Amino acid sequence: MTSVSPDPQVPTGQGSFSSGLSVSDFAACLDMGLEPLGLVQGFCVMRSQPTMSQMSLSMGMTPYQPAPNDYVENYHCPHGIVSAEHRMWGQNYQQTWIERIWRQGFSSAYTRMLSEATTLHAHGIVGVFDNVTPLVQDGIVEFRMFGTAVRLKDHQSTSPPWSTYLAGQRLAKSFEAGFAPVSIVAAVSSVRVSASCVTQYAVEGTGSLLYGQGNDSFEIEQLVSARAAARGLVRQSVKSQLHADQLHGVELLMREHDFGHGDFEIQPVLRGNRVRRFKNFAALLAPRPTVTLS
Amino acid sequence: MSTETPIPDGSTLRADVRLAMASLENPSTSHTSVASVTSDLSIDEELNLHAVGWQPVELVSGVSAFSVPSGLWNWGQGEIVGAIRAHENAFSHAILQLQRDAAQAGGHGVVGVRVERAVHPTHVEVSLVGTAVRPIGASAVDSLKVFTSDLSGRDFALLDAAGWQPLGLAHGASFVYAPRRQMSTVLAQQSQNVELTNFTNAIYEARETAMERLQAIALSLAGTGIVQVQVVEGPMSFASHAIGFATWGTVVRLTREAHQRVEPQMVMSMNDRASAFEATTLG
Repeated sequence: MTSVSPDPQVPTGQGSFSSGLSVSDFAACLDMGLEPLGLVQGFCVMRSQPTMSQMSLSMGMTPYQPAPNDYVENYHCPHGIVSAEHRMWGQNYQQTWIERIWRQGFSSAYTRMLSEATTLHAHGIVGVFDNVTPLVQDGIVEFRMFGTAVRLKDHQSTSPPWSTYLAGQRLAKSFEAGFAPVSIVAAVSSVRVSASCVTQYAVEGTGSLLYGQGNDSFEIEQLVSARAAARGLVRQSVKSQLHADQLHGVELLMREHDFGHGDFEIQPVLRGNRVRRFKNFAALLAPRPTVTLS
Repeated sequence: MSTETPIPDGSTLRADVRLAMASLENPSTSHTSVASVTSDLSIDEELNLHAVGWQPVELVSGVSAFSVPSGLWNWGQGEIVGAIRAHENAFSHAILQLQRDAAQAGGHGVVGVRVERAVHPTHVEVSLVGTAVRPIGASAVDSLKVFTSDLSGRDFALLDAAGWQPLGLAHGASFVYAPRRQMSTVLAQQSQNVELTNFTNAIYEARETAMERLQAIALSLAGTGIVQVQVVEGPMSFASHAIGFATWGTVVRLTREAHQRVEPQMVMSMNDRASAFEATTLG
């Protein structure tokens, strides 16, 4: 068998490394001069249920009074009917406690992953994967985060490791385009809709003739407003973490939980790669269209 | 191999990575902008946009929901007008909101719009999410001048190179009753495998009117055509005799004297996407 001389780019002599990279991503990492050090992970399990005080607020007889800067919109019954079977008010409000739980769970898992990478003297973490899954029983969620810690050969750094969801050729292209990865960024917003009588009837398809809505199609203002607010809040939350950097490869996931009778909650999750420009775009050639023969 | 095509150079890439690392440690050397940018475009799409003189500005969205008057879906003849109106209004309002959101962010258009729509028995919801873009360094425009398009950043760049311009999203929908067969027909057809013409005709009717509405919007935008037309059609899950047909696409117009032939170059891929990888690095 022919002996293979060790390549100076491949990490050797310090035990074996582990990584979550595919073979092609691993190869691209080496090509960038990044040595994989280890698969780093972070976990955090959080209880995620409203406390008694929050439950009493959301199920009260009067609209919830949120903190001054939180999102809230109230909708009053236009019919002038007082009845236990007819809703006199409806409300959209921001569930800040859910956002807080999510933020704490995500950032704890992230910090723990980062701390493992720091222990390995890594300069960055590539190919980060994260998710949130229910654990054991309802109301308990697990925040998980994985990534491959990497080190730039012959480079000294005192900064905390950077992180990115990208790996392989996509990361290489980002560097070539002049973007340095700073960190992964993610945020959630949570808006609860307690439907007003108008929204309830529109969503359930009841009472339109009885309560004077006739046979016309109309915009369901409360529903639209809640959806727009949820998207706006999550965007605002993410932008507050950017500090004039850019966010690339954004993914917006919409989660909804229907409670019936027009009541529901919306929880958009927005995540992406915070990047910083370190050089100007070189004058790029116009893209050359190609047809691939296969 | 053409000498015009730059070949990725591993040493340049490694130099870029070192430069990037140095800039992270010394932020004063970074080229940070005053306003942050959010974009759901891939790096390829962003590079393509830059190559044709455009840049992403912000992730934007538009949503709308319109009620459908109750009791419309099960019995009747012809088109289900209340549902059609709800669908058209929801789509139009979502587009207007998307345009407003984009204009506020300083965009001149929105590319890569993802269209999500849900038709419920009681209401129709439309949600649009895309990335606002503008010519590099351009100032803001009025929201009514903002174009919307479900073309990707790459397709937008290709369209631009060919001398065409996207004008906006066109949409059309129709919901039609498939008339119930007479009892004698049901009995006669019970043991035969025959075409159910009531359903076939309903699909054709829905398709004709939905496509006409799509064309009408394209003409109102002064477009010469529609590309990437999407179609969703079939029976409504909650109403056995209602057929739905919805369609949308990007309206385009030729902005140069003639179409510019893009002359695609044929390539044969010899391996997977690791184009910048040197096999020798594996050792």
